[in-house]
Amino acid sequence: MNLTGKSTARLVLYLAFCAAILLVPSVLDDAFLLNKYSRYLVFAILAVSLSLSWGYAGILNLGQAATFGLGSYAMAMGLKLRTVPVHTGSEGLPDFMVWNNVTELPWFWAPFHSMTFAILAGLLIPAAFAALLGWFMFRGRITGVYASIITLAVLVVVNLLIIDQQRYTGGFNGITDLAQFEVAGFFFDAYSATTYYLVALCLCVVLLLSLAVTRSKTGMILQAIRDQENRVRFFGYDVALYQIFVFSLSAGIAGLAGMLYTIVMEFASPTFLSVPLSLSVVIWVAVGGRQSLLGAAIGALIVTGVQGALSETEVFLESWMLIMGGLFVLAVLFLPKGIAGAVSMAVDRLPFFAGSARKSASNVMKTTEAAS
Amino acid sequence: MELVVSQLLTGLSIASILMLVALGLAVIYGVTGVINLAHGEFVMLGAYCAWFLQSQLGMGLLESLIPIFFILAVFGWAVEALVIRHLYDRPLDTILATWGIGVMAQQAIRLIAGGELRYVEIPAFLSGSVSLFGASESAYRLFILGLALVLFGLTWVIYRRTSFGLKLRAITQNREIASSFGINSARIYRSTFAYGAGIAGLAGALVSPLKSVSPEMGTTYVVDAFMVVVLGGAQSLLGTVASSGILGELSGFLAFHSNDTLAKALVLLAIVILIRFRPEGLFSTRVRS
Repeated sequence: MNLTGKSTARLVLYLAFCAAILLVPSVLDDAFLLNKYSRYLVFAILAVSLSLSWGYAGILNLGQAATFGLGSYAMAMGLKLRTVPVHTGSEGLPDFMVWNNVTELPWFWAPFHSMTFAILAGLLIPAAFAALLGWFMFRGRITGVYASIITLAVLVVVNLLIIDQQRYTGGFNGITDLAQFEVAGFFFDAYSATTYYLVALCLCVVLLLSLAVTRSKTGMILQAIRDQENRVRFFGYDVALYQIFVFSLSAGIAGLAGMLYTIVMEFASPTFLSVPLSLSVVIWVAVGGRQSLLGAAIGALIVTGVQGALSETEVFLESWMLIMGGLFVLAVLFLPKGIAGAVSMAVDRLPFFAGSARKSASNVMKTTEAAS
Repeated sequence: MELVVSQLLTGLSIASILMLVALGLAVIYGVTGVINLAHGEFVMLGAYCAWFLQSQLGMGLLESLIPIFFILAVFGWAVEALVIRHLYDRPLDTILATWGIGVMAQQAIRLIAGGELRYVEIPAFLSGSVSLFGASESAYRLFILGLALVLFGLTWVIYRRTSFGLKLRAITQNREIASSFGINSARIYRSTFAYGAGIAGLAGALVSPLKSVSPEMGTTYVVDAFMVVVLGGAQSLLGTVASSGILGELSGFLAFHSNDTLAKALVLLAIVILIRFRPEGLFSTRVRS
């Protein structure tokens, strides 16, 4: 098998993408645009997280926004407690608690005085939440459509609870009026190149780390589980354990994306854990290519980019959702592997890669024969 | 006593709406295995048809029910022919495609009819209230309950007593073998989809006087309807009735003792736990493995 050529090419492609997004601020000096692009990059991180669980392990998580939102709220809680006293009520109470007649800081808010705790919470709470949910589902061998429905229902529950517990979460309004994120003297103004670099670096790390995971033995077993769950089980692997691992890794990454989103948007809101956002993530990944991490990231950039551009022009302000919906249906029908799948098929036909392509094609034939 | 009866009636009223919305979904999901996320939008389109026929053409709600059924059935027919039939072997992708269709329908309505809330009037003779065992209930809600049961009965008769229903049940059990006996499964699937969409349209028209009509109204229904179908079991029509009864009474009860939001969250959690331990539903014996 001549796979080394192909995987080197893939690594080069990933590194080129990282270099490209890191170079943007050196050619662009517009704070407003940088903020917009940072937002798109956050969505790209979220898309990569879904591609990990959906594309590589076959778990279509319709509730990815739940863990994204948990991360976002963790960061918002940390930043809210750092606002200067002008914005907060007496004894350092966040303003919305004062409006809701809360007299002392609830116990679960107290540790967020420490930024380190807030950051760890933003990563670990989503991961632990997903691990628990994953344990609950996968130990019962719930997969496929049922797992999707459960994740969707759980998302709605979390969203309802956050809106309902207005005294502690700010309800519909979310948590607004936040302090600036600051680490070791560096201030991250949402409208600055510093924040853009922070988000872009996180995306690079997430992409390369996820690539490493998918190329590892664990990654191979996950893909095998996606294709033929029972066979992997018969080989003696603990299928549920692998599924729980990837589910909670994906949730941790989504939590990271949520934290960055709070920094970029300067607030946290229940819309971050809404069903529409969650399904948008699925669109990005489907359009970009669910079985390619880079594809998913680029899918998010393209769809949110086009969406942003279209909704700014007069003509498309009203109709972009219609166009997006149509494009999405067409993508599902005709490009089931997304843009990345189409590109990789085109590349395989180039003379340079033709040799390895023919080999991998014959491998695919063998596996499909074996599967049927 | 009065309190108990009025509590039960509230639950029944919620249940009848749930059943109306879920019936079409249960038919589609049970037969074709397609997760139709556009179902809420079918309901929404039905409600808008009712609004349009009433405000522009002056038709009463009751007369407009039959045209609405056929309009939505044609719509469902077209959706199946254009999109769904390409996806029967990719169940997860039907979630995506139908969601895309739902987004399009929502936005199209927003463009055509505007995003503001619309109101549909209750037929005059049903606007009063009826007293039952000392508790009073709006006549229209009782009418919905009756009609929901009639529609269910009709569906059950089609399912069990017609040759179409026989073919349909054969396909549900095994599509390949049914096809090899000469049953045109593609046509049956399409008719099923059209029928399910038509029922969804009726549901939309019937709930339109109770809640305001807006382009987003479908989103709440689709999740609820799904929970009913999953709880009842996809293959079981009676399960759909029983589970909408259970869910309706449960949400009525919980909403009375806490608040609407918490009640909804608790019901969803209960369903999640149920799916985990009985993914085939409460009232279904496993047909396919």
